[in-house]
Amino acid sequence: MEPPSEMVHWFFGTGVLMLGLLMLAEVIVGREVWAQRHWRIYLWPGLAFGLGVLMWPVMTFFTNSAIHMVAHGAWAQALMAMGGAELGLAKGKLKSRWWKLATPVGIGVSGAAFLIHEQNGWYFARSAFLHHLVGWTLIGASVVALTLVFRPRSLAMQTAFALAVIALSVMLFSDRDLAPVFGHLSPLAGAPHR
Amino acid sequence: MKRLVALLLFVALAAPAAATAHATLKSEFPGFQQELQTSPKFVQLHFDQVVQLPVIDVIDIHGVNHALKAVANGTNVRARVRPLPAGAYTIRWHALSSDGHVVSGVWTFGLRVKAPPPTEAYGASGPTGTENLVRWVYFVALATMIGALGFRLLVLRGLEVPPALEKRMLLLAFIGVLGVLEVGIAAFLLRCEDVLQLPFGKFFYGDLSPISGGTRYGKAFIAMTLGFALVSAFVYLAWLLERTLLLAPALVLSLAFTGGLSLSGHDATDPGSSWKSELADWVHISAVSLWIGGLVALVVAVFPAAPGLRREVLARFSRFATVLVALVLAAGTYLAIVRLPAFHDLWRNGYGQVLLVKICLVAVAVAWGGVHKFFPRARVFRSIAGEMAVGLAVLLVAAILTDSKPPPQPVPSSSTSRSAYAGAVGASSWRK
Repeated sequence: MEPPSEMVHWFFGTGVLMLGLLMLAEVIVGREVWAQRHWRIYLWPGLAFGLGVLMWPVMTFFTNSAIHMVAHGAWAQALMAMGGAELGLAKGKLKSRWWKLATPVGIGVSGAAFLIHEQNGWYFARSAFLHHLVGWTLIGASVVALTLVFRPRSLAMQTAFALAVIALSVMLFSDRDLAPVFGHLSPLAGAPHR
Repeated sequence: MKRLVALLLFVALAAPAAATAHATLKSEFPGFQQELQTSPKFVQLHFDQVVQLPVIDVIDIHGVNHALKAVANGTNVRARVRPLPAGAYTIRWHALSSDGHVVSGVWTFGLRVKAPPPTEAYGASGPTGTENLVRWVYFVALATMIGALGFRLLVLRGLEVPPALEKRMLLLAFIGVLGVLEVGIAAFLLRCEDVLQLPFGKFFYGDLSPISGGTRYGKAFIAMTLGFALVSAFVYLAWLLERTLLLAPALVLSLAFTGGLSLSGHDATDPGSSWKSELADWVHISAVSLWIGGLVALVVAVFPAAPGLRREVLARFSRFATVLVALVLAAGTYLAIVRLPAFHDLWRNGYGQVLLVKICLVAVAVAWGGVHKFFPRARVFRSIAGEMAVGLAVLLVAAILTDSKPPPQPVPSSSTSRSAYAGAVGASSWRK
């Protein structure tokens, strides 16, 4: 019944890739041009919110470990909170710019949890390598997102944030030895799993 | 209490530690809750990746381990088992995953008897005081969510609702659904921790799938979590798009998925249960949630945010609550008759005594509500807050009652089929 876990990660990798590409498109054309079609401003926040809703079945059906369940539940809520706050701001329902903090806080907590959870070194195993890589990428992305709260028009920061999200999607695509990206990382990263 | 705080902190902080790479159990022999006719010669586990240093215990109801040393061979682990007498058995296993994490799990099987659910595995403890507290918070959150949604759609229907009141009602519903989700996850993890009996660090690599997929409680948890996640999305969209109509599917889903409690509780699994007891339990929980949640909405939202509407809303809620109380009493009386074989169980049995306390508290709340209905006064805020407090106390007693074991039903002489664990695990009735 349940699809293999790598399928689920690739599905979410696709969603995150679209998220990053939408952000990048907004950076390339500029916010004014992007907002000329009003529905566009809801695109990435709506997608993030939707990905959060879709994360709940992952949390409930893949219960092979408690940490897996809790992690995906928390990620579902982080995505819904990020998307929800950005949608509220775009719609004008939320006025305070401090709501923008939902994104850096959600991403930062996610990254910190990756790093705290992984007790082994980078090259102990493939999973350890990915946990470290994803963790530090998310920490970096949260700093960029935090900078955007205070300097929302910084083109460099907007680009960096969009690229970090795209990089995250690549990591999701490469989460197993069967992955379409990278394959097995290195003999140093443990034996192939399958 | 420390465990609970640690769990809640973890739920709040641990974001996507996507522990995708530790080994996952893909198949096993004997199967989860399988009833065998002959003694198994071995226990085998098959993982999705290589594991090392495995340990497998096959434990009978007296705590004796019948398994020999486990041996890992690639993705398979096998342990030979001594010849077993008929009975129920618990299998506990641990293995070192290739990512360095120790993964663990538990399941049960029966030899010529029905296998107990994993929640009644050997070593699993029954509900604790912490679980009672968590369950109470869960009931409060459930009542807040359903009460706020029901109040907005049914009691305030057709009224010109001021924006401040609208905002408070939505906030109340959102706090309720968030509480149901978070506390529901914490309650499930506490239950699993009782079953797995692992140290805190190892527990987070424990396999929960026999509990989530193999028990009524686990299946109800999955369905209810998904349903309430959808409710949270509907409540959010109702706020974002300013469409009160979107609260209707939220209320319908809330009430429907509350049925998960009825389908996994005493009234679904204990002797004497039937579809009628499940239906009565669902009506009971739904009506109580609408009633007590409505009181919360009155105190927290209507009185502070809409002074001009107080008299009209109070009159409407009184009529609504009368119907709800009638449903609560009718369903509750039926369930008491089903659960208690004899009238004197009410004061002789522990379950009956808790039920008696609940009945007294409900009587106080009903009488208090009657005073508001028949003797309306201009300044009733404190009095309604008092009624609400009694309602919340009713929920606390209901939480204790849910975790208590009803007295045994008289066994018909023709009945022979029973679990070998019946009576062997004490009060761990929460749940099959």
